[in-house]
Amino acid sequence: MKIPIEFVVNGEPQALFVKPNHTLLDVLRDDLGLLGAKKGCGEGKCGTCTVIMDGKPVNSCLILAPRADGSDIITVEGLADGEPHPMQKAFVEQGAVQCGFCTPGMIMTACALLDEKSDPSEEEIRLALSGNLCRCTGYAKIVEAVQVCAQRIQQDKGA
Amino acid sequence: MSQNSEEKRQVKTLERERLDLGRLVKVGEAGLRIVGDSVRRTDDVLKATGKLKYAADYPQEGFLHGKILRSPYPHALIRSIDVSKARELPGVVCALTGGDVPGRNGFGAILPDQPVICQDKVRYIGDGVALVAAESERIAQKALELIRVEYEELPAVFDPRDALAEGAPKIHETGNQISLDKLRKGDVEAGFAQADVILERTYQVPFLEHAYMEPDCCWAIPQPDGTMMVEGPMQAPFAVRRNVAPVLGVPINMVRARQIHMGGGFGGKEDSPIDLCCRAAVLAKHTGRPVRISLEREEVTLQTCKRHPMIMELKVGVTKDGKLTAFKSTVYDEQGAYASLGPKIPPAGGSHVHAMVMSPGPYEIENCWVDAYLCYTNHPYGGAMRGFGAPQVHIAHEQMMDELAAELGMDPVDIRRKNAFKLGSKTATSQVLDQSVGLRETLDACEERFGWSQRSDSAGWVDAAKTKRRGVGVAMGWYRTSIGTGGDACGANVHVHEDGSVILYSGITEMGQGAFTVLPQICAEALGVELEDVRLVKPDTDLVPESGPTVGSRSTTLMGNAIILACRQVRESLDQKAAEMLGVEPERLVFCGRKVFDRDNPDGKALEFRQVAAAAMASGMRLIGQGWWAPPKASLDPETGQGSPYFVYTYSTHMAEVEVDVQTGEVTVTDYVAAFDVGKAINPKALEGQIEGGVAMGLGYALMEKVVLENGMPQNMSLQNYLIPTMLDMPDLKPLVLEQTNQHGPYGAKGIGEMPNIPATPAVINAVANACGGRVRSLPANPEAVFWAIRELGGPPQD
Repeated sequence: MKIPIEFVVNGEPQALFVKPNHTLLDVLRDDLGLLGAKKGCGEGKCGTCTVIMDGKPVNSCLILAPRADGSDIITVEGLADGEPHPMQKAFVEQGAVQCGFCTPGMIMTACALLDEKSDPSEEEIRLALSGNLCRCTGYAKIVEAVQVCAQRIQQDKGA
Repeated sequence: MSQNSEEKRQVKTLERERLDLGRLVKVGEAGLRIVGDSVRRTDDVLKATGKLKYAADYPQEGFLHGKILRSPYPHALIRSIDVSKARELPGVVCALTGGDVPGRNGFGAILPDQPVICQDKVRYIGDGVALVAAESERIAQKALELIRVEYEELPAVFDPRDALAEGAPKIHETGNQISLDKLRKGDVEAGFAQADVILERTYQVPFLEHAYMEPDCCWAIPQPDGTMMVEGPMQAPFAVRRNVAPVLGVPINMVRARQIHMGGGFGGKEDSPIDLCCRAAVLAKHTGRPVRISLEREEVTLQTCKRHPMIMELKVGVTKDGKLTAFKSTVYDEQGAYASLGPKIPPAGGSHVHAMVMSPGPYEIENCWVDAYLCYTNHPYGGAMRGFGAPQVHIAHEQMMDELAAELGMDPVDIRRKNAFKLGSKTATSQVLDQSVGLRETLDACEERFGWSQRSDSAGWVDAAKTKRRGVGVAMGWYRTSIGTGGDACGANVHVHEDGSVILYSGITEMGQGAFTVLPQICAEALGVELEDVRLVKPDTDLVPESGPTVGSRSTTLMGNAIILACRQVRESLDQKAAEMLGVEPERLVFCGRKVFDRDNPDGKALEFRQVAAAAMASGMRLIGQGWWAPPKASLDPETGQGSPYFVYTYSTHMAEVEVDVQTGEVTVTDYVAAFDVGKAINPKALEGQIEGGVAMGLGYALMEKVVLENGMPQNMSLQNYLIPTMLDMPDLKPLVLEQTNQHGPYGAKGIGEMPNIPATPAVINAVANACGGRVRSLPANPEAVFWAIRELGGPPQD
């Protein structure tokens, strides 16, 4: 049995038939070929599958596909607008990327944070991103990347 | 923004003037342009935009899906296996048992003692007893449920000391003791006679999971010419090939191994791809179709290698002024079910011998005695994990140093300074450290940056309500570069083209550490071109020279040297041609920034690099270079453990500040400084990344990580209950990088990949003890362990 869903992914309307036991992550990766969200654990613990759903960061491995009906999803592929998103640039510049497997999820959570609060404190950044695990970086440069990106967005607004 | 990079991080060169002593490196007059620069990593944009493909992102059309039926018992005989029902299931293409392995039914990074498919007995929960290939993962999973296996359970052994006891159940035919390695220096009893204080302590560490974010996934694709191609995230493609070939019963040249970008490795993906590729290749051979084996997170925990647990019984003597006189240790190093990377590759390869060599610490001690047992048990098996036996023994000797200092009423920094290695020191193996020994400098730098004396004076209660106590801890460490096997060679090819562009062929893999950036940096520097002129061919055993594994903090140093040698071969042609063109002696030429000019007349005529390359090519001169580099010969006497096992070491000191909640035992790391002597920072930012990540891993080891096993069964198989540090657990970390040139390294570099997590664990544990008085000698120091350590003392100190 498949269930019809309609939702918007990276600004594009999508109408799909999905299996009820599939997750949003399965649909993004297998049906839509959006491979940026990763499956690190499959139980919402590592955060590598994070996408933005209706403005909030979610573990897409925990969202059953039919629940995505009517939602607006942004994945890492939807951030770049011709050139990389400021958050993506900041991650690259600050050296916040090592193996890169956590990076798309980390960037999505960070973008959702800045959408909600444009000038977060370091503590707020650490709290917001604490659900995204990284085994390579020790997080130091990730925190810096988010801070740099926030500053830049502030400056751009001011200018 | 809080204190940020530039101001927080410092790189200090201690001995740059000694660079010209280097066997390989001649510093060009123009100085270094690309080496030493924090250039951006070559693959970061792809990763940040989600475009970089990991194994799970590769198309799966036409692939069969392989699954492994695993033993539910830690130790049992296999009485019978019936796969007939599984074979009948529609969609199943084959179901195999032990007799179906075409060649050698065994694999292993060092000894092939692990069956591809167990035939007569199983040795741990997770051992593979049957393999299935089917059209979908779901069908393959269903097929596993239809396989009937009759086991006869055997008594199992879960403690290395029990495994060594007489009459213990025999796990392998060869016996449970894989080796007893000995280190004997001086006269340890005479050393104890000179001591004013002698302490005896036992320290214990558990199995750890690598917890790389990307679960394992490998596949095998039979090629029309009969070659088997295996691909996946792997740290050691040559070791994979060396195993897959005999398992298939074909020569090495009929197997091709290619690395897919790794989502983290930390040593674990040296081993697991051997397992997965052998099994996928056997299924592919039987079906004639591509077969993919992808593990779920829980399967990774169940099946793949871990960090070796150890029980370390130390007895150490010290004079009243803090001079170490004797070090004695008995190490029980638990290998688990299979040999993996534990056993010795003479003279000093394998994690066990490495642990033995490192066990007395980076200190001058006249009299040392170590007995190090490596033995099988029915637990999962220990493999390589960042530090390779060194973190375990550092956890013991660095706690012992603090316990001795406390007994003497000495400052933990002073006792270390009194004994730390310096230039000319003799190690426990009597190796004379004749160059690049910046250990004391790391202690000085750390002490100053951290503000040790003020901080240690202010240890005590944090709050008036007396719920939290603050404390500080220090730990030192050393780690080898290279693997001490005596044949640790690395090869590289460099091709220069007529337009000045370059292809670099290297078998060193990328797992996030930055090899694909640092190695081209060295190549560009050595040729005098720009970084963007160099394209790296990814590790593929059909294309690149044997490079050995990407382990042992060896990549930058060993491959860097091989690259420089390869570049030098090409430079012979280019030098000759440019000398002709400029009419100067070749010795006067400088290659720098795509220009070639006379060093004595830098403002005179300059040639373009591409002009010289094109002219050399047109003259039929060699523009392909091949470099092979092996470290100076390793030695270690098998009876006494004396010799020079590794040619150079990286040194480090860490200092941590913690707060301990004395009511709950919860520990928060509040500040951290880590100083390193790295020889030369080729890419300082990538280097800092190694430091920050390594410290995080060491902090997890100290405070939270442990694979909990009950009757051989892991109880915390997912990231839900195997906890690793999150962003909230990490303190503000200040890395300090010192450069004390390694004369055998490219531009003076030494290894850095593993050093950072080694002193981190004992630094944190020592800080916890300093804060609350309670010392946790069996890790991790999780809240429960700290709570009981405080209670054992009758409560926290009241001062």
